Amino acid sequence: MHIVVLTKPVPDPAAAAERLGPDHRLDRAASPAVVNANDEYALEAALKLVEASGGEITLLTMAPAGGADTMRKALAMGATRGIQVTDPVLAGSDVRSTAAVLAAALGELTFDLVLAGADTSDGGGGVVPAGIAALLRLPYLSNAARIEPDAGSGRVKVRRITPTGYDVLEAPMPALIVCTQALGEPRYPSLKGIMAARSKEIAARALADLGSDPSGLGGAASTTTVLETRRPPARGATTVVRGTPGEGAAAIVNFLATRRII
Amino acid sequence: MATIWVVGELNGDGSLARVSTEAATLARTLATAAGAEAAGIVVAADPSSAATELATYVSRVVSITDPEAAGHVWASIAAERVAEVIGSDPGTTVLVGAGPDGRDVAGALSALTGLGVLVNAIGVTWADGGPAVEMSVFGGKLITTSGFTSKGGIITIRPNTVTAEVAGTIGRIEPAAPSGSLSLPKVAITEQVVEAGAAAPIEEARIIVSGGRGVGGAAGFELVASVAAALNGAVGATRAAVDAGWIPYAQQIGQTGKIVKPELYLALGISGAIQHKVGMQTAGTIVAVNRDPDAPIAEFADLVVVGDLFEVVPALLLALEARAG
Amino acid sequence: MVTVTTRNPADRLTEEQILLRDTVRQLAVERIAPRAAEIDRTSEFPEDIRQLLAQQDVLGLPFPVEFGGVGGDLLTVCLAIEEIAKACATSSLILIVQVLGSLPLTLAGTPEQQARFFPALASGRTLAAFGLTEPEAGSDVAAARTRAVRDGDGYVLNGTKRFITNGSVAGLITVFAVTDPEAPRHRRLSCFAVEVPTPGFRVERLEHKLGIRGSPTAELAFEDVRVPAANRIGAEGDGFSIAMATLDRSRPGVAAQAVGIAQGALDTAVAYARDRRQFNQRIGDFQMVAAMLADMDSQIEAARQLLYTACAEIEAGGPDIGRWSAMCKLVAGDTAMRVTTDAVQVLGGYGYIDEFPVERMMRDAKITQIYEGTQQVQRLVIARALLGRPAS
Repeated sequence: MHIVVLTKPVPDPAAAAERLGPDHRLDRAASPAVVNANDEYALEAALKLVEASGGEITLLTMAPAGGADTMRKALAMGATRGIQVTDPVLAGSDVRSTAAVLAAALGELTFDLVLAGADTSDGGGGVVPAGIAALLRLPYLSNAARIEPDAGSGRVKVRRITPTGYDVLEAPMPALIVCTQALGEPRYPSLKGIMAARSKEIAARALADLGSDPSGLGGAASTTTVLETRRPPARGATTVVRGTPGEGAAAIVNFLATRRII
Repeated sequence: MATIWVVGELNGDGSLARVSTEAATLARTLATAAGAEAAGIVVAADPSSAATELATYVSRVVSITDPEAAGHVWASIAAERVAEVIGSDPGTTVLVGAGPDGRDVAGALSALTGLGVLVNAIGVTWADGGPAVEMSVFGGKLITTSGFTSKGGIITIRPNTVTAEVAGTIGRIEPAAPSGSLSLPKVAITEQVVEAGAAAPIEEARIIVSGGRGVGGAAGFELVASVAAALNGAVGATRAAVDAGWIPYAQQIGQTGKIVKPELYLALGISGAIQHKVGMQTAGTIVAVNRDPDAPIAEFADLVVVGDLFEVVPALLLALEARAG
Repeated sequence: MVTVTTRNPADRLTEEQILLRDTVRQLAVERIAPRAAEIDRTSEFPEDIRQLLAQQDVLGLPFPVEFGGVGGDLLTVCLAIEEIAKACATSSLILIVQVLGSLPLTLAGTPEQQARFFPALASGRTLAAFGLTEPEAGSDVAAARTRAVRDGDGYVLNGTKRFITNGSVAGLITVFAVTDPEAPRHRRLSCFAVEVPTPGFRVERLEHKLGIRGSPTAELAFEDVRVPAANRIGAEGDGFSIAMATLDRSRPGVAAQAVGIAQGALDTAVAYARDRRQFNQRIGDFQMVAAMLADMDSQIEAARQLLYTACAEIEAGGPDIGRWSAMCKLVAGDTAMRVTTDAVQVLGGYGYIDEFPVERMMRDAKITQIYEGTQQVQRLVIARALLGRPAS
């Protein structure tokens, strides 16, 4: 089984140092980059599938040069190789452009499954994977809580979380699946994995390598533009109540009543 | 006349999803500002119920009966039918919810039409001939306002962005049949499972009572649930509580879970780490019960009660009961 | 908790070392730190942490790849120790002693011996311990009394070892015993790999200690314990020099532990100084507190940089490794004691109670001034490197 996992380097949310540059694009120098947390769940799901039935995992990312640093961790977790699409043209890409580029990169690969994280922590809306699937005419299965491929029949079953439970979906492979955290905690990279990651290949691809026409792609062709930014309104002062449990409870009830919530 | 479209999403029983009533209300406001028409599209094997409801919000609803939607995943089919209806005008604006279904529609619709996407809107106004979309980014540290270069595009709308209000008049419903065969692969639904205790989606709850590591275990979450029941709210949780297996993932709020904006967020035993904060900081009112007065949540809560939640919460239940009594 | 970030220049740490350090840091923060207070309170060996370290290959770090290890160099091992010690000094000692106990085999073991013992050590299935110290032979190593008498195809060991870290949980103990009482002082000892349990071997008792409480410090009794000759490490009479060479390479691990403990205490003190308000301002904004924090940070960084340089010098195998090793432990151990004491001071009354980890860190720090050679012995080693041995 060959699985492609889409990963994205994002500013470390824990560092809380994200900011926009003067061009209203993310200032990537302001914050240490990490693999998007939801992508690690997708990778973990892929690792479990490959451990169960053999195969390989290719990581695919679109990132500025230097984005390979974060990919090392994903390789250390057990992925086989990485592909990084990087091109100066791509800075400031919008959703449409990102989906088109990743679809073009996937077009060069053979795979059974593409796994993606639910969304990205740096403002991603979780819409790119659906765009990629539509461009490649791949079956698209999202919100997955369980993934069961069957190599024999060439089909995959997915439990898709719904508001009331789950649906069981079935589609032929190759297919694109959007993973949730319900698939299980990502592992820590083992130290042997880290040492082994050193010798794993991270292939760089420019747009020309993919045969993509740069004119419709990247920041220059973006369909969206930031008009202005502002700080969110500050919340009011915090009221702190110390006292007996009864006093605390009464304070909550009064507070909610004052605000007409109850 | 230009059109502001809203894609109607459906609940499991075929009724209109709440987020769509909000998106439709927003579409109407935008249409008024733009001098345009607000119109809805419903795609389903049986769209009648949702289309009827959507027509109470907008002046026109295209109601597409697509037998393919029975037994198949809805979003890609809906995206393709919506693309057929709205055509290829780059100035078209389409609103969908920012939940799983809405995201799936938005992504596929962008690929099919070439329209841009702005995601997770917390507010949309009309300015300079197009929508101006407010989004909260960087864990809530910044609010950006963005527009489309072509003055039109797809916008995913967070729940609770506006309060849904029906229009004064009921719109007309235009029944339609699908105009062509599908080019996107259909994905079969072979089984639908309703899990006991599965709650209403927490994104849409008006009141959320949430528990963290401090709740201590699944038994502690029963206490959280009884407060939620007393307040007629939903139960939420931090990642730590979900990872510990005390409560299902569907209830998780934060970076890797749901983003919520309830009127009241009652945080029990939650420290308020940044990963959780990003999921709930836009709540109208935040009340925290925590033993540690220096926990990060004290920096952004409106009210912090310092104390042991296992003592405060039973007292709170009594107080709520007395008040209701 | 706020972590003061250390930006390592790329020319000092490799990409792998940074990734490895960050991974161990994540393990330490997420899995080890939450256990630290309980490990201290119960004084129980943290078997769960040992399994975690084994599973994540942390215990395999010092062993060669061909024997199932990770093949990390000394600096890499020290980076891991530092990160674990930041959260829990006791837990870091599991790795430190895995290195210490196996170093005689690394330095003087035959390829056959390494092939026999390393796989189990590298996987973490077997823990190692280092059996050198005796009730009457602490700093004066050569005064050891434990005897090893040749008997056919093996040796028979008799004697007592004391203050043996992990002595009660180890499966392999490198024991130093007198094979020739008549030989010159530094030729009397030989080193043996003793696989336990084995008849005649007993754990007599565990010490009650000021700090590192979850790490069992054992008194071990050897009563007619038979050890095959194939388990002798090095030649007869090589024991003393093997012990000294071992300590030269293991002391940086203690220095790394000390740096980690100190950093953990500083992180706590800084977070507290930011949050705690008295007289309507953050206590960190009082100059006296600010100056303490600045001194703590500077001293830790100086100790860390000396440690990293010492690792590089020792790895390069220069003639001066005893001096580097002694210097880094001396500076780091004293830094840890000073910084943790000051951290308790910054937290005031809260620093003195177990609601915050700094009192534990202060207790844990003390041992780094004592074991693997007291600070006085380190100074002796450094001075001898400067002056040469006194003429006798």
